[in-house]
Amino acid sequence: MSSPLADRLDHGVASGIDASASAPAAEADDNQVSNRSSQPPAVRKLPPPESSADTRRRSLVVASFWFIVLCLGLPIWWKTTTIYRANLPLSQMTDWADGKTCSPVFPLQVSVEAPALQDGEAQNLMRITQYALETMTDFPGYRLQLEMPQTTTADQTTDPSRESNTALTIRLQPGDVAASTLHPHLPVLEVTYPPSSIPSPESSSNGFATYLATQLRSTFAEEQAIMSYLLATSSIPSDQQPQGSSLDTTESLSKRMTRSLKYSGTYHLTFSLFTSGPAPSSWDIEAAIDQYMKPVLDMLKPIHNFTIDTQVQLYAAPGVHSQVLSKEDLSSFINAAEWPLSPGIGGAPTVNFVVFTGNQTIGMDSETETSQSWLIPQWGSVYLLSPPPATHVPSDLLKQPILTFTSHLLSLLGTPQSGSLPMRLSTLTRIRSADLLLRASSSLGSLARLSLALPSISIPSSVADGVAKSMHHLELACANLGSTESLEHARIAEAEAERAFFEKSMVGQLYFPDEHKVTVYLPLLGPVGVPLVMGLLSELKAWRQRRQQKAKLS
Amino acid sequence: MRSFLSYIIPLFLLSCQVFASDYYEQLNLKPLPHSALLASFDFRSNTSLSQFEAQNFRYFPRSLGQILQHVGTRELHLRFSLGRWDAASWGARPWDGTKEGGTGVELWAWLEADTDEEADHKWLTLTNALSGLFCASLNFIDGTRTTRPVMSFISEGDHPNSTLANMHLLHGILPREVVCTENLTPFLKLLPCKGKAGISSLLDGHKLFDASWQSMAIDIRPVCPSDQECVLEIEQTIDMVLDIERSKRPRDNPIPRPPPGHDLKCNSSKPYHAGDTCFPADSIEGQEWALDQVFGKTMKGTCPLTDPDVPPVCIQAPDSRDVYTSAGVTELKTPSGLSRCYKVPSDSEFSLVLPRMSHEGENAKTNADEMVEPETPLLYAERSFTGHGQERGGVQSILTNPSPDTEVEFIYMETLPWFMRIYLHTLKTRIEGISGFNEDVVKEIYYRPALDRARGTQLELRMRIPPASTVFLTYDFEKSILRYTEYPPDANRGFDVAASVITILPSTAPNAPPARRKTSNLRTTSLLLSLPTPDFSMPYNVIIFTSTAVAVAFGGLYNILVRRFVAADEGPAVAGGLKGKIIAGVSKLAAMFKGAKGKVE
Repeated sequence: MSSPLADRLDHGVASGIDASASAPAAEADDNQVSNRSSQPPAVRKLPPPESSADTRRRSLVVASFWFIVLCLGLPIWWKTTTIYRANLPLSQMTDWADGKTCSPVFPLQVSVEAPALQDGEAQNLMRITQYALETMTDFPGYRLQLEMPQTTTADQTTDPSRESNTALTIRLQPGDVAASTLHPHLPVLEVTYPPSSIPSPESSSNGFATYLATQLRSTFAEEQAIMSYLLATSSIPSDQQPQGSSLDTTESLSKRMTRSLKYSGTYHLTFSLFTSGPAPSSWDIEAAIDQYMKPVLDMLKPIHNFTIDTQVQLYAAPGVHSQVLSKEDLSSFINAAEWPLSPGIGGAPTVNFVVFTGNQTIGMDSETETSQSWLIPQWGSVYLLSPPPATHVPSDLLKQPILTFTSHLLSLLGTPQSGSLPMRLSTLTRIRSADLLLRASSSLGSLARLSLALPSISIPSSVADGVAKSMHHLELACANLGSTESLEHARIAEAEAERAFFEKSMVGQLYFPDEHKVTVYLPLLGPVGVPLVMGLLSELKAWRQRRQQKAKLS
Repeated sequence: MRSFLSYIIPLFLLSCQVFASDYYEQLNLKPLPHSALLASFDFRSNTSLSQFEAQNFRYFPRSLGQILQHVGTRELHLRFSLGRWDAASWGARPWDGTKEGGTGVELWAWLEADTDEEADHKWLTLTNALSGLFCASLNFIDGTRTTRPVMSFISEGDHPNSTLANMHLLHGILPREVVCTENLTPFLKLLPCKGKAGISSLLDGHKLFDASWQSMAIDIRPVCPSDQECVLEIEQTIDMVLDIERSKRPRDNPIPRPPPGHDLKCNSSKPYHAGDTCFPADSIEGQEWALDQVFGKTMKGTCPLTDPDVPPVCIQAPDSRDVYTSAGVTELKTPSGLSRCYKVPSDSEFSLVLPRMSHEGENAKTNADEMVEPETPLLYAERSFTGHGQERGGVQSILTNPSPDTEVEFIYMETLPWFMRIYLHTLKTRIEGISGFNEDVVKEIYYRPALDRARGTQLELRMRIPPASTVFLTYDFEKSILRYTEYPPDANRGFDVAASVITILPSTAPNAPPARRKTSNLRTTSLLLSLPTPDFSMPYNVIIFTSTAVAVAFGGLYNILVRRFVAADEGPAVAGGLKGKIIAGVSKLAAMFKGAKGKVE
């Protein structure tokens, strides 16, 4: 490095030479000369010794440069290039994801009406049945709480809050044999009992009580199976889960659950009449919906709202033209490229119900589908209607399609299949809350893992806000599981967690790799850094030599 | 009350049923000079407002209806245009120019909103939704491309007074958007017959976008006929000027080739006409075409939803023009003798043949026998850039009133991008053609200056031009320098400046002819503005360059400060020549490895 300088000095431009020779430099020179044995011995003078003031000044220069770099340059660089990472409550988030904070256990109140029994007898029966329920090991996740109606049956309906908490009512009637039937329209289990089977106040177990407990258990068996399926597919580690159901029920459940739509407060229903020719061009859909579907939609109101639109599309050729549709054809029947089935605008997920008029039929090889319609998972359903005689489709022709759509809608919403409709709906509320709770928790867990895995990702404060809100609503939802408010809280929690996870500005940072930074910094840091480091090194060396010399001298 | 309602509702539904059958479509063909053919497709469907509110869509497209309801749009106009209308040879524009837009995509709508901010927000939603629906970059209509015209656009629909107070007109234009097949497909999907039957079966992207000029328009407006329920009307039009020779080119052999010499038709009246020179005489020879030739396919019957009494195809040609049709078609002639219409059987294919009519020989025909003379437009307008250089420029608009006796009053609206900073004080008009006219041509100016990166310039001028005169409207502007990221891809092509919109106001004179009694429109072509464009590898060059400069300055300074200068024979010896340098380097390396000595003093 010093050679060009020396060359120039050779031509007599020497200037600024100190009068006094510095001892370390002289020594170094000596060594080098002796090393270079091949060179002809030139007449070389020792450089004049350097004054100690000059040495001090040089040390100060080097030190001040490094001072500026370390105390000014580095902090500025650090400050301007650092990535904002909001503080996330990582451990709490992981706790939610692992199911440590809240386990979905639903307290279900079962009210017992026994007008023919004495109070004491009924209380006793309840106590024993409760005990039998609690000893059932394969029924976790639920706490069935039996209770007597507080008031008389006459003014039962006056207290709506109590009623909404009651999942099931058992109506005990004296009869010949122990038998139970579910009421087809009400959440009522009607049980008849032989009067002799009522337990005595002293007994701790009783055949009828066990029977009652088994009946209750089988009533809630489907819900319990769905719940354990949800837990099994969630992020909660398996050792914390209650033991689930058998493998084949899991399989059928997974089929059913993947079929159902993601939960939303509002769904948009689109009814479309498609035809491949010019007719029919109008239909009485409004009347048909009012008549055949509205009652079910009204019952669903506490859980979901629905908006409806209808359309008629002529000259819409299906994707498959064969006369008899095989199972494979059904998946490509919807002509997605040409049929205007764009999802509705404004947030609510769209459920499509398509009535296609044509002569096509379905080749039957599956038992669950009728020969006219099929359900498309998470999308909607299609009904093949044979062409009506006129260009107008009257509402009575639409009865069967709409009824089919109604049952398809229920299964698209994830409603369980057994029990009376009110019971299925209250079960739906609980399932959906648990589902949303688990989803939100697992989103939070993924976010926590993501922020740990990618230290260079920025976390804007909106993400932290979303996480905080989500956890707040999760706590609220967990506090009163099973009610419609908890469903609403779980929904908000899930939406917030999703929003936090899919924050746009977080994704952008992923595409700013370290190679990029090197390319930008290297042209500056290379030429500036090398002289700085070299200067520091030689200064350190000179200092060490000076010290050694001092030690030698002393 | 309830009994009254139950009595009234069936009646009401019945009337809906009557009205809902209202679907109308018609194709108007008009031969133009120079072997051009204007084809105007018009599709119109209605839905009653109550059915629309209930979201029961029948003829009105559901996808569009949902968007309109979601953002509270009361009236909407969307235009996709391509090419230039040659007013000098083709005359007045179809639909008086009301169904065309500037080159690219143009959108204006009346939105119902309480505040301006709410309107802006809804407008953003609307443009984004339409962008998805029509596969166009309408979502790029942002604040800088949105204006609120004050004088230029007039609502066409019948709006109740309650909504009228809250309606906001917003207008946006994308001059750079290239209209193509992907815009036609969603356009056809909105039609009840979807291009499968009726006149829409003639539409084909290859022919439509090969036209010399084309404009697709969608107009949605509420219409309240007297003594009937209000309906929401959607009118879709497609106007195209086909070059007949080009359209007749077969699809399997689309490359134009010069005809052999002996097939050339020459104008023998030219003085230089000889065996080896020829002035082509295509336009003199007259047109010869068939419907399936120029559109590439035949018309597949009629759309069954239309009123069978409305003829689906009309042609504007004098009665002396020979026209042959396919079998089963009924011809209806209008009393004026200048146009005729055809009723087509619902399920047979339809075509139209116009044979060549000889201009020589025994039954020689003239141009007047062959086509209707184009009408003279009310105003000619052209606009161009003046000036040179990268810093300043000017715009000149030439507006000509061809009428010998009637003056024309209109509103001239410019929407300029913010990086074109106009100097309003340089706005000047000069009138030619008449002498002694001292009145100011510009009657009223509405000017909303641009804000950098936030909004563009909006300039509206109400002007009146005396008969048979030409007005030159000029103004100067400054080109601003954009930020690095603000340049679009292919920045060296230039920046498109939207067409200026000219709205000719209806004449107030009592004896004005009917053509003057309605509002008509006109648009100039869009302009291509070239701005100073940087070299886009600049940032990295800048990094390298500044780094080098800093490194040189720093290195020199630092070395002078920390190095010690000695005479040549006092420093470490360095042998001259390459060999010596290498040896010195090797020994230095060796020394370094031993850790004994350093390199820099």
